[in-house]
Amino acid sequence: MRKYHIGIDIGSTCAKLAVLDEGQKLVLKSVQPTGWSSVDTAESIRKKLQEEGIDVGQSSCVATGYGRISVPYADKMITEITCHARGAMWIHDASEIVVIDIGGQDTKIIRIEDGRVKDFVMNDKCSAGTGRFLEVMANTMALRPDELCELARRGGGTAISSMCTVFAESEVISLIGRGEEKENIAFAVVESIVNKVVSQSSRLNVGKERVCLTGGLCECAYLWETLSEKLGCEVQAAPDGRFAGAIGAALSAG
Amino acid sequence: MDGESRINYYILFENYTQGMMLQELLREEHISSRISPAPRAIQGELGCGMSLLIQPEEIEQVRECIEKNQAEYYDIVALPCQINPRRNRFC
Amino acid sequence: MANYVEMWKELGMDLEAHDALCAVLPTAFGDVYLSQENRPEGMGFWDMVVADIHGIRPAELIEAQKKGQKVFGTFCVYVPDEVVIAADGIVTGLCGGSQFWVPGGEKVLPKSVCPLIKASVGARLERTCPFFRIADMYVGETTCDGKKKAWEILGQDVPMHIMDMPQMKRPQDVKKWEDEIKEFAGVVEEFTGNQITPEKLGEAIHIINEKRKALNRVYEARKARNIPISGRDALLVMQIAFFDDPVRCAQMTNKLADELEQRIADGVSVFPAGTKRILLSGTPMAIPNWKLHQIIETSGAEVVCEESCTGTRYFENLVDETKTTLDEQYAAIAQRYMGVNCACFTPNTGRVDDIVRLAKEYDVDGVIDVNLKFCCLYDTEGYTVEKALKDAGIPVLGIETDYTDADAEQLRTRIEAFVEMLG
Repeated sequence: MRKYHIGIDIGSTCAKLAVLDEGQKLVLKSVQPTGWSSVDTAESIRKKLQEEGIDVGQSSCVATGYGRISVPYADKMITEITCHARGAMWIHDASEIVVIDIGGQDTKIIRIEDGRVKDFVMNDKCSAGTGRFLEVMANTMALRPDELCELARRGGGTAISSMCTVFAESEVISLIGRGEEKENIAFAVVESIVNKVVSQSSRLNVGKERVCLTGGLCECAYLWETLSEKLGCEVQAAPDGRFAGAIGAALSAG
Repeated sequence: MDGESRINYYILFENYTQGMMLQELLREEHISSRISPAPRAIQGELGCGMSLLIQPEEIEQVRECIEKNQAEYYDIVALPCQINPRRNRFC
Repeated sequence: MANYVEMWKELGMDLEAHDALCAVLPTAFGDVYLSQENRPEGMGFWDMVVADIHGIRPAELIEAQKKGQKVFGTFCVYVPDEVVIAADGIVTGLCGGSQFWVPGGEKVLPKSVCPLIKASVGARLERTCPFFRIADMYVGETTCDGKKKAWEILGQDVPMHIMDMPQMKRPQDVKKWEDEIKEFAGVVEEFTGNQITPEKLGEAIHIINEKRKALNRVYEARKARNIPISGRDALLVMQIAFFDDPVRCAQMTNKLADELEQRIADGVSVFPAGTKRILLSGTPMAIPNWKLHQIIETSGAEVVCEESCTGTRYFENLVDETKTTLDEQYAAIAQRYMGVNCACFTPNTGRVDDIVRLAKEYDVDGVIDVNLKFCCLYDTEGYTVEKALKDAGIPVLGIETDYTDADAEQLRTRIEAFVEMLG
């Protein structure tokens, strides 16, 4: 049986799996909702690996993400900061970058110099500027998060002043009540997220170097376009950006 | 966590002087004991008092030591291990 | 006294509410302290003190009061213990380190006041802290806006003296602090009925200096590569030092330091080699606030020094013992206290220098700068601190937290990531 390097990233919203072979080739990736129980999620990932002919016992496995403690078959736990950094370096084939990861419940900005994490910032308990913020607003507007992002492209002229998700939601509700155009509200939601991320980035003086976006929101093109504009530099997002944490974990297992 | 199902013994006292005396006796006999605030559940009306925490391997030696020295104490209570360093519950 | 319940009743405490605190303390203490391996034997003394934290020492204070001594409750490392001791008074710390007391404080204070102040006011008003009940006089100081207003609430039914802290450290400010100390001495003399003489003040200065030297020995031992004591244990020693009799404190601490020095000679360490060494800088951690130390020390790092009021600020610098007149002695006391660097001063470059110096002296891998939520002074100074450390090439992680458990997992992620970054 072949030996693989398995990376499992159990985030607050989605669990991501990435498997590398011994030549560091990405042979498997998958994503599923985390659901209620990280333990059940970890078990269903184990079954999936088995179906794919990957024996967990023969392979090395690293777990990351907030549910990292719930993967009993992992050999090691490494935080998502380190894993996102490693994954982003691998995806973008770079060793001097800033990684912005907008996750389900937290946003991280990681400065990498010479292939190592040099500094990072992470939001605290508050969910402003995270995927959760987008999700809550999208729900309120009966949209999917990606729909909201694309709709925002056509909007403008409206702003949400509250950073707090709870207060912002009631602002959105009153905007809906006032008959504001949906795309304008969507625009305001994306602006709010991007502004928060930009303000967090300012602590790390982001702007001069290569910036890469990872996490679930890198599939929203309008979001990273806006982010590029506000940061004054080109923010790159790769198709596998969502898997950066899992890939970084798999690399750490190697 | 490690030892979740392990049994720990808590020796309760009427005052801390009794507790200190027993700990000294145990120390002389090289029996390990640790001072612990008595878990509230077993404290009864004793107040916020000290107890001695004993591992199951040593509880028999402790009982012998108490017997031999006629040491004073209030009660010995067995409880599943209460200690979990990653519980994330603080005061 | 076998059973402290009677004593608490006589102190007018709310027994039912207090019982809820007694229920959580053993669990937290077990998780934080009894989970550690190979602790110094000398820590047994502090374990005993915590096990009966509201029993043993309060009973001693009550006994002393029966003999006519007065107890002064203080909140801050700038209040000079020497003056109280010289008048045969006793100094005790007051409660303020637990989330348990915070809701009580929030009944009268705005939410956006730091947890230390909210907890203190809560402990006082809800009658769940024996030290607040025992103290004959509270001594406050004007180190921050939150405290200044809190005194007006706390001082309603117990005599309260407030020392006016200078905000700068110019010569005229040191002189002003000297005058404040003299005025405080007058208040203490009148309240205790005992006159402060140069001999008694000299003796008191010596007692407190000896306590400082003993605490400093424990910190010196933490500079060793093989760390002989955990940060959690050292923190406990500091926290209890605010409550204990100063002579006994020095004696027990010196005994502990002897053991630690022996451990260094024997190469005994409480952490495996390669554990990352952390300096914590910032706001104080009043007992039983062990949260951040516990998270750090269960995340692959060890705390080797605290630049805080429950750390170096408490014992650094000694009062000159060679002075023989009261005027000279008060000046020497003022000099010592004004040499301590709190974020309440401006400019405060001394504190930034202290942190960089301590980071080097303790050979740390990184600094965690902690701010107790809503402490505007330390929060704002965090920018300068972080910048100075980065300029010096020392990794730093800024953290803001309070007494609640809610952010523990998030803190763990950040601290583990910081440790991985240092690796």
